[in-house]
Amino acid sequence: MPDGDAPARDEAVLNELKETTGDDPAFVRDLIETYLADAPVQLEGIEEAVAANDAEALIRPAHTLKSSSATVGAMQLAEASRALEMAGRTGALDAGVRAQADAVQVEWNRVKAAFQAWMGEQPE
Amino acid sequence: MTDGGMALVVDDSPVNRQLLKKRLETLGLEVLQAENGADGLAVLAANPGHIDVVLLDVVMPELDGYQTLEAMKADEATRHIPVLVVSSVEELDSVVRCIELGATDYLTKPINPAILAARIDASLAAKRLHDLEQKSLERQTALNRTIERQKQELSRFLSPQVAALVSSPEGEQLLSGHRREITVAFCDLRGFTAFAEQADPEEIFGLLAEYHRMMGGAIVEHGGTLEHFAGDGVMIFFNDPVPQEDHVERAVRMAVAMRDRFVELSSLWHHRGYELGFGVGIAVGYATLGRIGFEGRHDYGAIGNVTILASRLSSQAQAGQILLSPRAQMMIEGIVESEDIGELTLKGLTRPVQATNVVALR
Repeated sequence: MPDGDAPARDEAVLNELKETTGDDPAFVRDLIETYLADAPVQLEGIEEAVAANDAEALIRPAHTLKSSSATVGAMQLAEASRALEMAGRTGALDAGVRAQADAVQVEWNRVKAAFQAWMGEQPE
Repeated sequence: MTDGGMALVVDDSPVNRQLLKKRLETLGLEVLQAENGADGLAVLAANPGHIDVVLLDVVMPELDGYQTLEAMKADEATRHIPVLVVSSVEELDSVVRCIELGATDYLTKPINPAILAARIDASLAAKRLHDLEQKSLERQTALNRTIERQKQELSRFLSPQVAALVSSPEGEQLLSGHRREITVAFCDLRGFTAFAEQADPEEIFGLLAEYHRMMGGAIVEHGGTLEHFAGDGVMIFFNDPVPQEDHVERAVRMAVAMRDRFVELSSLWHHRGYELGFGVGIAVGYATLGRIGFEGRHDYGAIGNVTILASRLSSQAQAGQILLSPRAQMMIEGIVESEDIGELTLKGLTRPVQATNVVALR
């Protein structure tokens, strides 16, 4: 389960992204926008798979959300998504999956709020 | 720093695609994107020969990384393009599978820019080497085709052996002159001069064409090198440029074959009112062989007493005779039945020559 006390996003990851992509603030902002637009698509895939109790269908959206969350520094969400992906890979979904999916949704709300706040701080 | 090149990023996560694209562009590459394997294969097909490296995610909808890799490796057009598999650390077993399927290398997420640069450099270098090899192979094939065509063209003008020699690695050395023992056969027609005085040029050409066709067949069958046609005179030698251990025997067998075939031809000509006979002189000895002539017009020829001796023997031969020099006779003894025709005094030679006539092959 995600640690609600840990920060939703890791500042160091974003800083490193900035440094290694040629200090292009517009690029990092674009990347976060892409992330904020894509994550709900993956969350929807996760919801559908859990509702249908389809382990196979759960793997890909959970994997993609894990991967992109890690890229932008949303480490708690990446970890929660990883747990869901692993649940999908075991082949059978147990009762715990519902709670895991809910936890991912809760963490996502935190992440979204954190990035929206971050976006507001960025110079246009 | 990478210099140019085009990369294709195949990943279903737009965030990862966007970041990878940025990183690759920083390295100086142009970047195409695809959001799943099927899309990736379509982009490859739409850009034949342009994509230098593919960065491939494993977990994707439609067509996953494995299937994409399999399809790429099964296609002649995409097989050689380096593929870097992009995966998370916990997927290392899938990386092994990808390498087995033909992937070049892998990158773990999150991607370390320095490792990315190193892998891209290595992949582009491998791709460039492959492209160079491919280009040089194509050039070589084209060159070989040209040489083959030239050889064919040449062989219409030269004897096949000389045509092959011209385009062989040791050609220059052989052409520039070398000494070797050869057998020379000189053939001409008895009564040709008288015939040529009376006949129309068209008739002469027609008759020579029939005669040369018959001779040509026998020369090729016995592996002789045709030095030249001069009207009715034909000079052929053996054991050069292709070494032939049995060069004397080949010359004699060829002459006998020609004489046999000439019977048919001469009876045909007899019906048309031409009385022509066939004579051959054969001699063995050392000659200098190589390019003879001047810039713009060279022949591959033999120079030595042996050619003169064969030519003189030929002019002494009666219709149907194949005259051997003493040395040729000695070297062929077991194979032919021959008759001694005594000493001949030959023009230009100080001593008379003991000649024999080939009656038949044993």
